[in-house]
Amino acid sequence: MVNPILLIIAPLSAAFIIPLMGYGLKRIVKFIPPLVMGFNLVVSLSLAPKVIKNPIIVFLGGFPPPFGINLYVGPLGILFSCVISLVGFIVSIYALNYIKQGAEQKYHALYLLLLTGATGIVLTGDIFNLFVFYEILCISSYALVGYTGEKAGIESASKYLIQGSLGSSLILIAIALLYGKFGTLNMADMASRIDSVHTMELFFPLVLFITGMGVESAIFPLNAWLPDAHSSAPSTISAILSGIAIKIGIYALCRVIFTIFGATDILQFLMLLGLVTLLVGEFSAFSQDNIKRMLAYSSTGQIGLIVFAMGVGTQYGISGGLFQFTTHALSKSLLFLTTGYMIYRAGSMKISALEGMGKKMPLTSVAFTIGAFSLIGLPPFIGFPSKFMIVYSVLARQSGLYIVFLALVLAGTVIEGAYFFKVIQAIYFKGERKDDRAKEAPLSALIPVIILVLLIIGIGIYPKVLTSILDSSAAELLDRIGYIKEALK
Amino acid sequence: MRKIFSLIILIILALGVYICISEIPFGKPGTAVGNYYIEKGIEETGAVNIVTSIVLNYRGFDTLGEVTILFLASLGLGAILATVQNKTRGVITPPSLILTTACRFLFPFILMFGAYIFLHGHLTPGGGFQGGAIIASGFLLRYLGCPQKRIRQSSFVAIESLGGIAFIIIGLLGFTAGGFFLFNFLPKGVANTLLSAGIIPLIYIAIGLKVGAEMAGIIDTLIEES
Repeated sequence: MVNPILLIIAPLSAAFIIPLMGYGLKRIVKFIPPLVMGFNLVVSLSLAPKVIKNPIIVFLGGFPPPFGINLYVGPLGILFSCVISLVGFIVSIYALNYIKQGAEQKYHALYLLLLTGATGIVLTGDIFNLFVFYEILCISSYALVGYTGEKAGIESASKYLIQGSLGSSLILIAIALLYGKFGTLNMADMASRIDSVHTMELFFPLVLFITGMGVESAIFPLNAWLPDAHSSAPSTISAILSGIAIKIGIYALCRVIFTIFGATDILQFLMLLGLVTLLVGEFSAFSQDNIKRMLAYSSTGQIGLIVFAMGVGTQYGISGGLFQFTTHALSKSLLFLTTGYMIYRAGSMKISALEGMGKKMPLTSVAFTIGAFSLIGLPPFIGFPSKFMIVYSVLARQSGLYIVFLALVLAGTVIEGAYFFKVIQAIYFKGERKDDRAKEAPLSALIPVIILVLLIIGIGIYPKVLTSILDSSAAELLDRIGYIKEALK
Repeated sequence: MRKIFSLIILIILALGVYICISEIPFGKPGTAVGNYYIEKGIEETGAVNIVTSIVLNYRGFDTLGEVTILFLASLGLGAILATVQNKTRGVITPPSLILTTACRFLFPFILMFGAYIFLHGHLTPGGGFQGGAIIASGFLLRYLGCPQKRIRQSSFVAIESLGGIAFIIIGLLGFTAGGFFLFNFLPKGVANTLLSAGIIPLIYIAIGLKVGAEMAGIIDTLIEES
C-alpha cells in the first residue's frame, strides 16, 4: 500500500527541486507539474476503495495523536484529493503551451505549492497543521494572481492579500482560543472535549472560524476580492482558483462545523448564508459584460449552492453538496480553460468580442457550451444529477421554510441559465468574424478540454460511479463519534 | 442607524471575547498534552530544549509547512518583482571608510553567531529560524555598508532549494528506517551534548541555511528594486 503522506510530499519536493533546474534543465520544468499530479491522481484513486471501508490514520514522526500530528485519510479527504489532483493534472497539461510570459519556472513552483496546500488541508487531522497548509494555499494564490506583473493583477493580488491575511489571522486567533481551552490541537481530541464546556464559550471561536474561512471560500459578504482576483489572473490560474482553492475553504468550514464543533444548530444559518451568496453571485454575474468576471461571479453563486446543500445537514444533502463540488470543479475549470484561448484569439475579455467564435473555434465553443449546460444543470451532464440530489434532499425535509428556500435557489438557477445562454448566443448566433487570426486552440489545450468534456458527460450519464464515495464522505462528516474513535484508537 | 447597528455587533463580540477568555485557565499547571511534552520530551527526543523538541519532533511536519511558507514568500516576491518593469536605480552615495571597514570586520562574526544559534538549537534557546534571521542580518549589513559588492542571487536560490530538499530527505530516511515520515531514526545520544537529539540538529542546519539564504534573497530582491 502506498503511504498517503506521499500525496503531500511529492508536489512539495517537486516545488523545491524546480528552482534548482534553472541551470540547464529549463525546458523540462513545465513537464514536472503534470507528472507529479498524475502520480497523485493514481495514488488517490488507488487508495479510494480501501479508504471507503476503513480510514487510514498516518502518524507523523511516529508519535500517536494527540501528541504528534496525524493525517486522517478518510473518504472525504480522498474525494477532495482525487478532484484536486485530477483538476491539477488537467490544468497543468493546458499550461504546457499556455504559460509563456513572466517568470515561468516560478509559476510552476507556485502552482505545485498551491496544490500541496490544498491536499494538505484535506488530509490532515490536526487543526494547526490545517492552518499551516491553509497559509500555503493562500499565499501561493496571492502570488499567482499577481504573477503576470500587470497593474490590474498586482492590484487585485494586493486586495486579495489584505482580505485573505485578515481571514487567516482570525482563524489563528480561533485556534489559539480553542487551544487555551482544551490544551490540544488534534481535531479528534478537540471534538471529544468540546461538550465539556458551555456553548456560550464556543460561540466566539466559531464566529472567527466562519468569518476567517468565509474569506477564502468567498461567502457573501466576504467575497469582494474574488471577481478581481479570478478575472485578472491568467486562465489556468483562474481555473485552479475557481475549481479548487475556494472549495478548500468550504471543506475547512465543514470540518470545523461538523466534526470539531458538532454545531448542528447553526445549519439553518449556513443555509441562509449559502442562499444569499447564491443570489448575490448569480445577479452580479448576470450584469457583467466581461466573460471572466461573469464566470468569477458565477463561482460565487455555485459556492452559495454548495454551502446551502451542506446546510441541509442530512446525509443526502451533504452528498449532494459534495457532488455539486465535483461538478463545479470540473465544469468551471472547463469554462475557464475554453475561454482562455477564446480571449487570447479575440484579444478582449468582452462578451461581445467573442461573437462568431462558434465557426472559428468549433471544438472549443462546443466544450464551452457543455460546461455551461452542466453548471446550469441540464441532462445528460454532471450538473444534472448533482443539482437534482440537492433539490431532492431539500424536499425530503418536508418543511415549508425549506420549500421557500428551494424556490429561491431555483430562481438563482434560472438567472444562471439566462446569462450562460447570453454568452452561447453571442458565440453561435451573433455577428460574423472576418479576421483570420481566430483559429482553433492548439492540441495541448484541446486534450485537457476533451478529457473534461468526457468526464462531465460520463459521470452525468452514469452518476453511480461516485455514489459510494459521496455517501461515505457524507457519513464521515455526520458521524463525529466515529471520527473521534478512528483517529484516537 | 448604521452606528447603532455596529455598536450592537461590537458589544456582542466583546461579550463573546470576554466569556471565551474568562474561562481559559491561564497560568494553571499544563494540560495532558503539555505535561506529556515536559515529562517525556527529553527521553523521547533527546533535546533538552523542550520548545525545540516540540517544534522539530512532535510537530515537525508543521515546521516543514512553515519553512515552505517562507520559501513561498520569497518565491512569490521574486515572481512578481521579476515581471515588474521598473529598473531605474537611484543615486548611490558611497559609504564612508569607517562603515565599510566595520562591515567587513563584523560580517564573518555575524555569520558565525548565526551558525552557533542554529547548531545549538536543541540545547539553548534559538534554532534554525532565529539563526537564519541573524545570518540574513549580516547580509543586510553588507548590502548597506558595501553596496557595490553583490552576491549572485542564484546561489541564494540554490541554498534555499537544497535546504528544503534536505529536510524532506531526512524525513523520508526516517520513513524508510522507522515507517514514519520525520521519524527520529538517529541515536539520541547523551542529553545536553552537542551531538545529541538525533535528526534535530541536522534539520536545524538545513533550516538555518535555508532561512538565512531566503531572507538574504528577499533583501537582495528588494534592494534591486529600490
